[in-house]
Amino acid sequence: MDFGQFILMRHELLLILAAVIVLIAELAVSESSKARIIPFALGLFALVTIAGFIPGETGTLFGGSYQSNELTTMMKNVLNMGVLIIFLQSESWLKKPENVDKASEYFVLTLATLVGMNYMISAGDFLIFYVGLETATIPIAGLAAFDKLKSRSAEAGIKLILSSALSSGILLFGLSMIYGATGSIYFADVLKNVSATPLIIMGFIFFVAGMGFKISLVPFHFWTADVYEGAPIGVTSYLSVVSKGAAVFIFTIVLFTVFRPIMEQWQHLIYTLAVMTMTLANLFALRQDNLKRFLAFSSIAQAGFILLGILGANGMGMASVVYFVLVYVFTNLGAFGVVAAVSAASGVETISGYNGLYKTNPKLSLLMTLSLFSLAGIPPVAGFFGKFFLFTSAAGSGYFILVLIAVLNATISLYYYLRVVKAMFIDANEDPAPTFRSSNAMRLGLIMCLAGMFIIGFASTIFDYLRNISDVLFN
Amino acid sequence: MSSTSTIYDFSTLTGSIDAALHNWMSPGLVLTAELVLVGLIFLTFYALLGLFLVYLERKVCAVMQNRYGPNRVGPLGLLQTIADLIKLLMKELIPIRKADQFLFNLAPFIVIIASFMAIAATPFAKGLQAVDLNIGVFYVMAVSSLGVVGILLAGWSSNSKYSLIGAMRSGAQIVSYELSVGLSLLAIVVFSGTMQLSGIVESQADGWWIFKGHIPAFISFVIFLVASTAEINRGPFDLAEAESELTAGFHTEYSGIKFAFFFLAEYINMFIVAAIGATVFLGGWMPFHIGNWEAFNHVMDFIPSMVWFFLKTFFVVYLIMWFKWTFPRLRIDQLLTLEWKYLMPISLINIVVIAFIVLMGWHF
Amino acid sequence: MNVVMFYLLSAIILIFSLLSITTRKILRAAVYLLFVLVATSGFYFLLNYEFMAAVQLTLYAGGIVVLIIFSILLTSHISHKFKHPALLNLLMGAGVAVIGAGVALYIIFNEKFTANGQPELPVDMTAIGTQLLSTEKNGYVLPFELISVLLLAAIIAAIVIAKKGKQEEKES
Repeated sequence: MDFGQFILMRHELLLILAAVIVLIAELAVSESSKARIIPFALGLFALVTIAGFIPGETGTLFGGSYQSNELTTMMKNVLNMGVLIIFLQSESWLKKPENVDKASEYFVLTLATLVGMNYMISAGDFLIFYVGLETATIPIAGLAAFDKLKSRSAEAGIKLILSSALSSGILLFGLSMIYGATGSIYFADVLKNVSATPLIIMGFIFFVAGMGFKISLVPFHFWTADVYEGAPIGVTSYLSVVSKGAAVFIFTIVLFTVFRPIMEQWQHLIYTLAVMTMTLANLFALRQDNLKRFLAFSSIAQAGFILLGILGANGMGMASVVYFVLVYVFTNLGAFGVVAAVSAASGVETISGYNGLYKTNPKLSLLMTLSLFSLAGIPPVAGFFGKFFLFTSAAGSGYFILVLIAVLNATISLYYYLRVVKAMFIDANEDPAPTFRSSNAMRLGLIMCLAGMFIIGFASTIFDYLRNISDVLFN
Repeated sequence: MSSTSTIYDFSTLTGSIDAALHNWMSPGLVLTAELVLVGLIFLTFYALLGLFLVYLERKVCAVMQNRYGPNRVGPLGLLQTIADLIKLLMKELIPIRKADQFLFNLAPFIVIIASFMAIAATPFAKGLQAVDLNIGVFYVMAVSSLGVVGILLAGWSSNSKYSLIGAMRSGAQIVSYELSVGLSLLAIVVFSGTMQLSGIVESQADGWWIFKGHIPAFISFVIFLVASTAEINRGPFDLAEAESELTAGFHTEYSGIKFAFFFLAEYINMFIVAAIGATVFLGGWMPFHIGNWEAFNHVMDFIPSMVWFFLKTFFVVYLIMWFKWTFPRLRIDQLLTLEWKYLMPISLINIVVIAFIVLMGWHF
Repeated sequence: MNVVMFYLLSAIILIFSLLSITTRKILRAAVYLLFVLVATSGFYFLLNYEFMAAVQLTLYAGGIVVLIIFSILLTSHISHKFKHPALLNLLMGAGVAVIGAGVALYIIFNEKFTANGQPELPVDMTAIGTQLLSTEKNGYVLPFELISVLLLAAIIAAIVIAKKGKQEEKES
């Protein structure tokens, strides 16, 4: 094969290159000035992110094992932006004396998992998909256990690795059944041979269960809250935004392309999962006081909404899912960024600790409010449009009752999102978190989130573009 | 190769036995009978080999230390090891309270079964090989890695700190040195282009790889010797049973015949390692041939292939024994440093060099 | 004879799988697992797929089980035994297992498997090696290389967990 074609894998190769450069730079930096790695890696990754937007060729490689098109390129860019914001937000946390020694490892691990996600999205067969999935999961356990001195962090690492091992096992079992029934692991060949026989249905159910763990759908969500709470905030936001986004992307692609012939069957399954996920996660979120747990359940609920877009099962559905994840990246990272900033400055991570935050840190409170409004889907910010398109897509396929349930759930979610807002603005507190000024990187990260929430909401060209490139899956 | 045709092929013998058995009974029974037969032959071979190797070790040790060694029982002390064996058999099997009896009893069998599986692929002479797998070298590597499980189990189930420490050491050692053994064998696989042991032997009909393969083949042979000595837990790498600090290492708590099993397995493993080394680097049963010297090669063919095999194998065995009685024991950190910082990188570079040589066709 | 071996190996796998999850001593569970994995490699030998059998032996029996046993040796004492599970849990677990096995068996026995139309590949090392490094369809070079990224990241993750910070070093 022509090695010039490797340019198709530019996202992945750039990331690998960046990871290797950071690794080598770690060797070059002296023991006492490890902190210099952080701005270097940040700049490097910013370059990678920008380079990802350069339009280029798309196509398939390795006899169909690897495929890229405008849609996957867009997905990878979304993930890159999310990671860039997370890096910016974790800068001050990494500079702490107990973490600065491991800063380069943080970057390398994150980049490696990102490589895995990119390959997963671009997979053209189940093998690449699976290996990419593992690359995207296993190293995160090391990240979750990053805070060595906190036992909760170690617990998060163990829980993550155990649950992901279990889910990978289930997923692999399902894939082996599908392989047995269709005789191929290539998406294109499986698509030709898939039909609604009991074996394939069973394999498919295992597949969905395995992916359900990764996306943390109810009833596969038990690990989520504990891991999100125990892991460092930078890692939690990575898990809840980038990791989940990548899993949602490939899940949608596989459902829409490989399993299109058994669409009728999987729609029932996804329908049930969507209802369960939205409702149960919302009910759990109502009674959380720890903000990380709260955001964990909120992110489970958001995954339930995403399933609505998947049910659309057409170009509109695909576009709405990608659009929602794009919005979700900026929105959720905004919320996590505020939590990270407050936690870094004062150590407060509970909702009641946010009482009176507006008095001392008005800008942060405002950003938090906007993010929460966006998560809840209140009009001025992008989150509204994200949910709106998801609902439109589901309604377009005739799922009116489901949309009704979703709207009800969105209303419930409004209650608990507003609880945080109420704490910040209304609840009096004699001893609110002190006024502080975040680091420049953190501020840049937060500003990017804020800008993203508005630009994506108001620039209608973005959705139109996504709508155009989404049809590629359906030719 | 015309010159090799004069070597007696044992497959004619085994083939005629097979045919004779088929005249007697049904195919299913023949298979069973042959399995039993091969098993019995190997068992006998094990017993004799074990006895002889122990005797040899004591004699070699004596030579190194400038003494006579066993010389009272039988001519030249040849019956000494038989006497030892009888003593071992008569000894009481001491049951350990608070030990995990099941695993304790299982451990010696795992060790010995692993060595049985490995010896099955050894080509003793032309056509005399129990199984000739097309992945021979890889198979030997695979099954020899099973033995370590037995050692670890023995150490843990004895419920004794000496055993445990010995087992941990030996585990760390075997797992790391396995890599170098594999890589050094891989070097010859690259040269010969096959993993089949009989194929590797055939490829040495015009000269052994240690001569044909230039310096890299010699480097791999040295690495193989060092690493495999470590893999079978023999001195100077016998930390697992370092008697001055750990009593007897992982088999401290074993007595009588169970101890004899470990003892036997250790010697048989040495033989297997030597046999693999001789087969891969020194031509196995292939007589000493030089390129196109037809007459010379023909003369060499008159020495039976089995003799060649055992000569070479015992040469390697002798080398390994020589190691043990000349070098002082390493510390565990030195041991791991040797593997991970020296042998591993050298073997990796060596393989790249060899691949290059083979690609350019520079070898003979 | 092959049929006999097949049932023998299956019996070994079934019995030791059950034993390995019901035993109360952790190292015994690991050893039963070893038997299961070795017996599985026996299946590959039966199919004349020696390469896969040897891979199964080196990777699982020689690699993974040794790692498991090693970590047990480091962390657990011989006198440790697991508690008996609560009766309710036991019953529910058994119920789920029986139902799951029933459904799976029913489905698998009722499936009409169609043989793959592709020609049977010769199982020699050259073919396997070429296939592993092939960039065409059914080639495995991309997953092969991706796994190297995964392994590198996994090693670094292990370092992150094990690495001592400067402060800890001072304390200890």
